[in-house]
Amino acid sequence: MTTIEAYQAKDYKSDLKPIWCPGCGDFGVVQAIYRALANVGRPPHEIAFVSGIGCSSRIPGYTTVYGFNSVHGRALPIAQGIKLANPELLVLVAGGDGDGFSIGGGHVAHAIRRNMDLTYIIMDNQIYGLTKGQLSPTSPRGLKTVTSGYGSMEDPVNPLLYVLGYGGRFVAQGSPADMAGLAQMIEEAIRFPGFAFVNVQSPCVTYGQPDQQLKFQKQRMVSLDSLGHDAGDRLKAMEMAQAYGDKIYTGVFYREPTPAPAYEYYVRDRQQVLAGEAVDRSRILDGFAPPA
Amino acid sequence: MLTDLSIGMAGSGGDGIVSAGDSLMTALAIEGYFAMLTKSFGPQIRGGESSFRLRVATTPVRCPGGALDVAVALNWDDFLKFGAELPVTDRTVVLYEAASKVAPDALPLKGVTPRAAVAVPIEQMAREIAGTEKGKNTIVLGLVAGYFGLAQAAILAGLKKRFGKKGEDVLVRNERAFQAGVEYAQAHPIPSLEPMAPPAARTPRLLTDGNDMTGAAAIFAGCTFFGGYPITPSTEIMQYLTREIWKYGGTVLQCEDEIAGIGACVGASFAGKKVMTATSGPGMSLKTEILGLASIAELPLVAVNVQRGGPSTGIPTKSEQSDLFQAAFSAHGDVVRPVLAPTSVADTFGTVVEAFNMAEQYQTPVIVLSDQEIGQRKEAFERIDTSKFQLVDRLRPGDADLEPYIRFRDTETGVSPLSHPGMERGNYLASGIEHNEHGAPTANGAVHARMNEKRLRKLDPLALRRDLFETYGPADAPIALVAWGSLAGVVVEARDMADAEGLAVKVLVPKLLYPVAEEVYREFFASVRAGLVVEQSHQGQLYRVLRMFVDVPRGLKPFARSGSNPFSPDEVLARVREIAGQFRADREPVGQAG
Ligand SMILES: Cc1ncc(C[n+]2csc(CCOP(=O)(O)OP(=O)(O)O)c2C)c(N)n1
Ligand code: SF4
Repeated sequence: MTTIEAYQAKDYKSDLKPIWCPGCGDFGVVQAIYRALANVGRPPHEIAFVSGIGCSSRIPGYTTVYGFNSVHGRALPIAQGIKLANPELLVLVAGGDGDGFSIGGGHVAHAIRRNMDLTYIIMDNQIYGLTKGQLSPTSPRGLKTVTSGYGSMEDPVNPLLYVLGYGGRFVAQGSPADMAGLAQMIEEAIRFPGFAFVNVQSPCVTYGQPDQQLKFQKQRMVSLDSLGHDAGDRLKAMEMAQAYGDKIYTGVFYREPTPAPAYEYYVRDRQQVLAGEAVDRSRILDGFAPPA
Repeated sequence: MLTDLSIGMAGSGGDGIVSAGDSLMTALAIEGYFAMLTKSFGPQIRGGESSFRLRVATTPVRCPGGALDVAVALNWDDFLKFGAELPVTDRTVVLYEAASKVAPDALPLKGVTPRAAVAVPIEQMAREIAGTEKGKNTIVLGLVAGYFGLAQAAILAGLKKRFGKKGEDVLVRNERAFQAGVEYAQAHPIPSLEPMAPPAARTPRLLTDGNDMTGAAAIFAGCTFFGGYPITPSTEIMQYLTREIWKYGGTVLQCEDEIAGIGACVGASFAGKKVMTATSGPGMSLKTEILGLASIAELPLVAVNVQRGGPSTGIPTKSEQSDLFQAAFSAHGDVVRPVLAPTSVADTFGTVVEAFNMAEQYQTPVIVLSDQEIGQRKEAFERIDTSKFQLVDRLRPGDADLEPYIRFRDTETGVSPLSHPGMERGNYLASGIEHNEHGAPTANGAVHARMNEKRLRKLDPLALRRDLFETYGPADAPIALVAWGSLAGVVVEARDMADAEGLAVKVLVPKLLYPVAEEVYREFFASVRAGLVVEQSHQGQLYRVLRMFVDVPRGLKPFARSGSNPFSPDEVLARVREIAGQFRADREPVGQAG
């Protein structure tokens, strides 16, 4: 495994030039990830970074780690397969709000309750960027988009409450408007020994709403620390999370005070307990000999 | 003496039909017989009617067979529900419950007079001797053993195992019930009934079903990750692996749906493991998008489809061969995924091992098309020499390949060395987006064309895999039968029967269904003037796929029907006789242009 060497942010930055629009919030997110990874200090080849499809899901390609830019909505199952195949790896998962809470929404609950040691980062721009401006599951009610010309008729998903509600053990929210805070939060999420969720208010400059843009975000941002929020209290966290769509609280909403063992711990335990019962593979069919 | 015997039995849920079939099967396998057991149930989840048919022989059993030699009806209502699955003819001996008050000459079997009909007070004997109606199935085991001199010692040993745990009293009652069945048979002989010949050798056979065999083959092949979601009739694969895979350092993840199941597999394959998922038709539909991802990201993966009656929920408990089109053509994009089909429980071992080898060799998803019949029937078969099977591992980058590492390097074979997270200097971006050799995303048409060509070229050697086809009969025979999956055994047996009648017929059994190995078919069809592609699908899907790629002989026709209607060797033989008759009359190929 790893010896902690001195890694710098640039060691995680690839040569691929991002396709993102100038000013896209995702630039800030990838910078924060470089910094967080450098602080954690795992060599790039021991890291797997999985995403779905969307502008935001391009992100693994802009890092030097083992990336997997997969298909729309399926990053979490793929990441879980990677983690179980090799629990030593540091596994990051990322994508857009559509990727995570619409097409992939069904997987989130199960990733949470299985609690593998993964870090899941959503770049929440409340719009579909890649497909050019359709309604997203986190778009506010009434929003007019190319697929809701007369205004959206449905309530948005609240990603923070969603994850807290399913028992999420680490839930945080950040914004590229506060780079240092975002990098630190992602680092903390990576270090959390279980499923950790970071919702990033990452504005789409091309299709997003005006009040989502960084300079307006700054006016709506309030750090949870400054409010003396107790991150060990799930109910309090859920109360604060209600403000989603209105205020932007940043920081850690909830962190399980005494983290439970992650899924892969139980897997290893079961493998170790049963290893003694293995027969030589060439004799696997002996198991089908009728009982003498 | 008999060398081949088919027994069918039906009753209601509480009658212990299934455990009677299993007990008999186990005893026969221990004695050294070859045998095949298929069970069938009504639509109820528990209770309801159930049945089995068991065929035992002194030589390997290829298919469940046709008409029964012995039919046991614990009650007529339930028996009749199984219709064509338990066919009674004039050569069948019928044993039935006397309490049904049906006279032996008034059986509710339309237009059939069985060879003999014996009303046995099964229920009464069970109550009096075993002390409970639950002993009915033990009485029947005694009857069958008594009439045919079958495996008495092994059945008794099985009873000891099964009832020993429940206390001395229960065991003794059941032993007595068995004995009473045997004695009843001796006291009521059926004229000219022959006993079963002893097995050729007293070596115990292996005994399992196709689904457990799939799990075992996967472990043999080195599979250490399974992701899936339960669906009939494939679930036993996951269940087997859930018991076994941990012992080999592996993991089973029961996922939230089939998409997550194959997604987790793709992830684990990316991370360097041999992986498998298994499902049935509807689940396969859900997996289709990620099969495309595995194809373009060039990741090895085995996906098993244990086919059932479709579309949609269809008939989940019955066999059909109607997912061939789906397996071959459900992909988006220009892609070929190899499709393999096992022909029996025993053959499932080699087929699944082959699927893993192919997946690893060519870094591609491979589909195994099993079917409910093979997946859930039990066979007693000859031991398999596992040392005959070589295992293939994916091409991993050597030092030279890592300076620098080009993940999708367009090599001569089209196969590029594949690293995995954890390997130093092997870092790359896997993606479902089209990419260049380095893995960088691209929308360039020229690169796309080149990468498509590479991904397809690497599968070219499959066209030369003659070893994935079985042939039977004289190479120059003018009449041919083609069949795959569980119908292969039916057709091969029909051919043997035709041969015994002096008809020159040959059989082709493709185990590689897709890509279509055109040359293999061309050679096989060279002598063929007429014949049948025998399939359990309404459209005759293999026949149609063949017509897409091969000039099939004009006289080759589909003999196809929907699932849940089993084929028997007799009816295939009858069709062959017809063809041969016409053939002699015309001395011209039968049939019109197809
Ligand atoms: C199965 C499937 N359906 C639809 C799409 C089209 N599609 C790609 S990305 C996307 C939504 C993008 O929005 P989001 O996930 O929020 O990411 P963003 O682009 O905003 O970062 C859609 C609908 C697809 N690629 N695959
Ligand atoms: S469309 Fe929006 S989300 Fe996509 S790159 Fe441009 S700004 Fe970013």
